[in-house]
Amino acid sequence: MNPLLKFCGIKSETEFRKAVHTKADFIGLVFARSKRQVRPEEAAEWRRKIQVPAGVEIAGVFQDADRDEMIRAALEIPLDIVQCHGSESPEDLEVLKKEGLKVFKTIHHEDGAAGKMADFARFADGFIIDTKTPEGGGAGVRFDWEAVPSYREEAERLGKVCLIAGGITTDNTDELKAYSPPGIDVSSGIETDGIKDEGKMWTMTAKVKQTYSFPDQLGRFGDFGGKYVPETLMHALTELENAYEDVKNDPAFYRDLHSEWASFSGRPTPLTFAGNLTKEVGGADIYLKREDLNHTGAHKINNAIAQAILAKRMGKSKIIAETGAGQHGVATATAAARFGLSCKVFMGEEDMRRQELNVFRMELLGAEVIKVTSGSRTLKDATNEAIRHWVTHVGDTYYLIGSAVGPHPYPLMVRDFQSVIGHESREQMTEKTGRLPDHIIACVGGGSNAIGMFYPFIDSEVLLTGVEAAGKGTETDRHAATLTKGVRGVLHGSLSYLLQDEGGNIQEPYSISAGLDYPGIGPEHAHLRDAGRVTYEAVTDREAMEALKLLSETEGILPAIESAHALAAAVKTAAGKKTGETVLVCLSGRGDKDVHTIKQYEEERDE
Amino acid sequence: MGQLMSAEFKNRKNLFIPYLMAGDPDPGTTIEAALALEEAGADVIEWGVPYSDPLADGPVIEQAAIRSIAQGMNILKAVELAGRAREQGLTIPVVLFTYINPVLATGESLLVEKAARAGIDGLLIPDLPYEESGGLKRLAREHGIALIPLIAPTSRKRVKKIAGDSDGFLYLVSSLGVTGTREQFQEDLSDIIREVNNVTDTPVAVGFGISKREHVKKFHELADGVVIGSALVRFLHERRNKLNGSERNSVLAELKQFVRELIS
Repeated sequence: MNPLLKFCGIKSETEFRKAVHTKADFIGLVFARSKRQVRPEEAAEWRRKIQVPAGVEIAGVFQDADRDEMIRAALEIPLDIVQCHGSESPEDLEVLKKEGLKVFKTIHHEDGAAGKMADFARFADGFIIDTKTPEGGGAGVRFDWEAVPSYREEAERLGKVCLIAGGITTDNTDELKAYSPPGIDVSSGIETDGIKDEGKMWTMTAKVKQTYSFPDQLGRFGDFGGKYVPETLMHALTELENAYEDVKNDPAFYRDLHSEWASFSGRPTPLTFAGNLTKEVGGADIYLKREDLNHTGAHKINNAIAQAILAKRMGKSKIIAETGAGQHGVATATAAARFGLSCKVFMGEEDMRRQELNVFRMELLGAEVIKVTSGSRTLKDATNEAIRHWVTHVGDTYYLIGSAVGPHPYPLMVRDFQSVIGHESREQMTEKTGRLPDHIIACVGGGSNAIGMFYPFIDSEVLLTGVEAAGKGTETDRHAATLTKGVRGVLHGSLSYLLQDEGGNIQEPYSISAGLDYPGIGPEHAHLRDAGRVTYEAVTDREAMEALKLLSETEGILPAIESAHALAAAVKTAAGKKTGETVLVCLSGRGDKDVHTIKQYEEERDE
Repeated sequence: MGQLMSAEFKNRKNLFIPYLMAGDPDPGTTIEAALALEEAGADVIEWGVPYSDPLADGPVIEQAAIRSIAQGMNILKAVELAGRAREQGLTIPVVLFTYINPVLATGESLLVEKAARAGIDGLLIPDLPYEESGGLKRLAREHGIALIPLIAPTSRKRVKKIAGDSDGFLYLVSSLGVTGTREQFQEDLSDIIREVNNVTDTPVAVGFGISKREHVKKFHELADGVVIGSALVRFLHERRNKLNGSERNSVLAELKQFVRELIS
């Protein structure tokens, strides 16, 4: 179950208006002496003006206040909850309770503090566990979260609400969640320069309150996903599921990961307002999430680092990966070098020819590139071969899948690791524009950058569009538009949509962009399309290349051809929107790797 | 009801189960080779459906699939071909060996109906593990067809639940890896076989990598049967030119001899 959430220290009408609509369960107003102190008359005025959605409760925080003062405020404002933050006695609480008020009591964390909860249990409906400081808590300092389970267990035993407070921010929520807190109370962690930040509030609710809950226990996103692999691999997948569950509950994993993302890959990546492009297009403001500025030039590294840390924790010394264009291969080779793991990258002979420099790059990074000569000698065959190798060496080998595809738990893990894109975007967009974007657009091959961008917005109202490669056109047979043209089927371990013939044989896709040139698509995208939450469209080689040139010339950013597909769709979308609306594009990678292909394309076009 | 669902089949020992890729080198040869195998003492035939991405198979069967697809073979044609083999006198049980995607592309109900009508007794799907197999297993049972489950050396705790609800025979994967001949078998399968025998009387056939008389002997002692695939596919492929000419009958005779020696 999701933890309860309280946004505390709301101190203006504007903040109050924003906070009540962020899916927090409790909104806290501080009447005690504090830098966030508000007067009961102000609070009463906000309540008169602003409709509070059903299910949201307003709490007033008092510290050793006069009983009558608390009762009066609670009735006049009105308050749903009176929170006693000082050294109030059980008798004080009893008086409040007799007035029919709901009462929360703050317990200051120290050894054995969980035992104090029982003393108040007769009259308190809930507890706030806060750090003990000389000023009496509320100082924005975290306590040792190892103790969280003891408070949770006591609250469960007593049947009371319990919120963990003190020093919680959007950056450490994942770490705290690993201790399964029954509730979270946050104040300074959702502020920027002392003001409540709507972006941070939304990030916090996105992190704490996911109502979208796919995949299920069997790894299903609605009808899609699952585990369609040879029996030999089933044990390895179970082992991986368990290992992933373990790290999800291990704060040290997130510390390592965030530290590597920051110090090794350069996260957070910036958000850029494309002012010139916006002017050129006319219409909505276009923003770019700059995944191209990651180490190795694309979002792929986010996932490669995370899975490499996981592999290492599982005690696997060998990593294998598949690669099409070589971007995931380079990212995996990079992460393997960083974490001292041996690395084999499977790559189709045809792709090795087209991406000679990336082969060399992987070798420079110490990886062994294995030439795949089966089938069509491209990405799907490289994936088959990687799976065959894994089946044979499953004991000591970790298969590091690069996209949101494959058998459960891969689509889940890749989504979770890539969600850093969407989480950062939420915060950055709200910081820059004061609200969420109207529309978000990302390109989709297997779909990892898109799902990472979309996932934190799934519960919001933001329009989401995935862009597939239409190659020479979806009316031809030279495209990679899996959702637009494919039918249901199983490839590489999961049920999704596929390009296939009547007999169920996989068809070779085509796109000028090697990263979108895949006959399948991640199962979660199949689900989101069929559920109507995300729309998918297809963009041709030509449209993508025009968008690539346009961005290069107007903004001085050479995007990857993959990302240029998203841009082409964004340009059309922005043109159809009103000034002041916003479109956010996931610029998944940089185009340096594509210079050769771009040159060739231009030469062929000129002929 | 298919032959694999009969009570009588559960008591079978020393099963010899050869695999043929439908349509390789050509459909006519598949039928005649099947008849020759029956004559030579085969107990069940695995009828391979060619698929573009056979990730449980090694290069021999993958190449055979590519050749067969190039000639226009597909899952429904392979089912029809099995029906024709029945008409021409094939009597032993036939197991359709296919990946799950061709089954889904055809439609599970349609495929099972057509398979039953063609006289197919079993379905073996290497990328359909126990957890995903419930629906198809029920459907197959309704038509008297056995969905043959696989067990691997890594199955561990899974052995019990897989074996406990099994039809036909259990396909025990001899070693980690894909199909194709091996010189050595490192896994000790006796524990798994004992565990299987504790929960079911379904026979156990060992497959993957078996190509020699000594392998057959070893696994017949240990289990209830063996599956031979790549070795036979290679045998026919190497003689494809002879099969097109006057030496056709001598190749088929040689095939019978090859099998008799394997199981002697």
